[in-house]
Amino acid sequence: MDIEAYLRRDYIKNLVNQGKRLDGRKFDEFRKIEIENNYVGEKACGSSLINLGNTMVLVGISLDVGEPYPDSPESGVMTTSAELRPLASPYFEAGPPGEEAIEVARVVDRGIRESGAINLEKLFIEENKVWIVFIDIHILDHDGNLIDASGIAAISALLNTKIPKYEDGSVIYGEYSGSLPVTEVPIPCTFAKINDKMLIDPTLDEEYAMDSRLTITTTDTINAMQKGGVGSLSESEVYNAVDMAFEKAKDVRKLL
Amino acid sequence: MLRIKNNEFVIPGQLIGSRIICDTNCFYENGKVYSAIQGIARVIGNRVIIIPSSGTYVPKEGDIVIGVVKNIMSRNWVIDINSPYTCILKGEEVARDPLNEDIRKYFVVGDIISGKISRVDEVNNSTISGPRKLENGIVIEVNPKRVPRVVGKKRSMLNLIKEKTKSRILVGQNGRIWINDGNIELTIMAIKRIEKEAQTKGLTDRIAKMLEENYNKN
Amino acid sequence: MKRNGKIRLIKDGKRLDGRKFDELRRIEMKVGVLKRATGSAYVEWGKNKVLAGVYGPRELHPKYLRDPTKALLRCIYNLAPFSVEERKRPGPDRRSIEISKVTTEALNSVVLVERYPNTAIDVFIEILQADAGTRCAGINAAALALADAGIPMRDLVTACAVGKVDGEIVLDLMKEEDNYGECDMPVAITPRKKEVVLLQMDGKLTRDEFKKAYELAIDGAMRICEIQKNALLSSINVDVKGV
Repeated sequence: MDIEAYLRRDYIKNLVNQGKRLDGRKFDEFRKIEIENNYVGEKACGSSLINLGNTMVLVGISLDVGEPYPDSPESGVMTTSAELRPLASPYFEAGPPGEEAIEVARVVDRGIRESGAINLEKLFIEENKVWIVFIDIHILDHDGNLIDASGIAAISALLNTKIPKYEDGSVIYGEYSGSLPVTEVPIPCTFAKINDKMLIDPTLDEEYAMDSRLTITTTDTINAMQKGGVGSLSESEVYNAVDMAFEKAKDVRKLL
Repeated sequence: MLRIKNNEFVIPGQLIGSRIICDTNCFYENGKVYSAIQGIARVIGNRVIIIPSSGTYVPKEGDIVIGVVKNIMSRNWVIDINSPYTCILKGEEVARDPLNEDIRKYFVVGDIISGKISRVDEVNNSTISGPRKLENGIVIEVNPKRVPRVVGKKRSMLNLIKEKTKSRILVGQNGRIWINDGNIELTIMAIKRIEKEAQTKGLTDRIAKMLEENYNKN
Repeated sequence: MKRNGKIRLIKDGKRLDGRKFDELRRIEMKVGVLKRATGSAYVEWGKNKVLAGVYGPRELHPKYLRDPTKALLRCIYNLAPFSVEERKRPGPDRRSIEISKVTTEALNSVVLVERYPNTAIDVFIEILQADAGTRCAGINAAALALADAGIPMRDLVTACAVGKVDGEIVLDLMKEEDNYGECDMPVAITPRKKEVVLLQMDGKLTRDEFKKAYELAIDGAMRICEIQKNALLSSINVDVKGV
């Protein structure tokens, strides 16, 4: 375990027993969310920089033309990847994505893919040529809840993404033919279980203190779920979290 | 000859002067003294010290530090003191018969302890003595170079905070501060603010005002 | 370097973006922008957006890399996949590895590594948006991040690129000039003694052209150094109104 995990773990658990959190939030409160869209506006097709409390994530969207999957020849392709950049935390190392980065990428991807947020059918160009949407998550400063920060920035970036011009077999970068067709706004909501209480949007200190974690991504349906951590969750904890996730997602959606 | 003024903000490579005595935050080149870091220069006669804006903690004999037990090896505890160097708490400091006892009954991995740095070798490895387990309360971390500001001249700032919050506060020179009892929230707020505004003027008054306002609220 | 005789990069004595031959693009620098890193800096230079973070001195693993006489300074330069128009696959490519190497060597000339034996000082340069001159922007950000981290240095390091475009020696190439010009030469110096710690060049220059380019680079770097100093100075003017 990271050494700093020991410094505040017990104190945070005691606070939870008193119904409090270290930063004074309520259990069902997100930290302050600041989003700057088109942060990489000169180069990327879409981008969004998010500050979720002290967690900072930059998501960039790149488009390129490529081959569709054989089982869906008239559908565009989306692919998500995440990097825990080493400057974001003393515990992140340079190198290919480890299991933590891969989990972030796959959970964010699931929410966007399963909700049908990107209308992939509209990304068909001609035979054997479709638009490929690359969602690249670049984590820059880690203070907990990387999944929600990344997921919210990702959908915000997609909502502001433009499709480059495609002429005579090549992509004309810098010139655009329209907006990426995005019809749903999936929002992930992560809960940390500490002493049988479910806390929304854990900080890094709270992640060190938690027993387990549950992420639920919603639109008007549930589109992705991911339980993390070593502890267990009760049925009622899961049901309550689902209800709260729908509610909180609505609030976050208003900011985008 | 001095090339800077008292309380001047200096940056790495800035000329301090010649025939001046300067502290370890400087370096000498061709008979001249330069600052190696960014910070505030204080001039006392022909001596200059530089108060760093930031930096890593390097253990010094006599420092009180707050550490975390990170490993147990060869009947000794390896302590993390927020420094890149190794710090050992020897079994014999605590146990009467470290070779035949299970020393885990004194401290285990994850325990938070305070202690005094007793020895530092030439590559900055250190040993710690007089360990006390810190239970309950919270340990926060600040930039180690801002610790003197948190304590204040003759402990004035620390006493000001203790008076208004009634918290027990143990300040480690390694940037870790243990807080228990009293208004822990207010103590943390005050310390974090001192850390942020350490190099500004009028800080003591602002902290006193902040403590007064929040003290009256409760 | 691609050659394209069709693009005129200089018209009526001005460059494509309207700059004079010795004019820098707009530069802004800020330190202390990350919460977790020990030191950090952010540089906007033209359309470049560059972030640098420093950790250290810290424990060095694996142990066999430890040097009992000094700290190991390591610099990694990385382009974000979305930082360029045509997406770059994540991971170090040969160009990034070379830039990491020359950047590490440039910074090693100034950092007083002997003061921290057996440790690591890690510098991470992230290019978030790239538009020619990223390695220079990266070095400038890295030097600030090291100062912000309180790591002792003999001097700052300041970098600037010069080039030759339509036969003219110009300062601070933008993207089209970098792609279609006749020479690209990034230079990094220690501003106090104007000693070179990074020098790379590709293209074609006569000896006289090189002299002119070199002087222009030093001149540009000294101007950029002032911006670096101001960024450090501003860091102590914090907002004292709120908590």
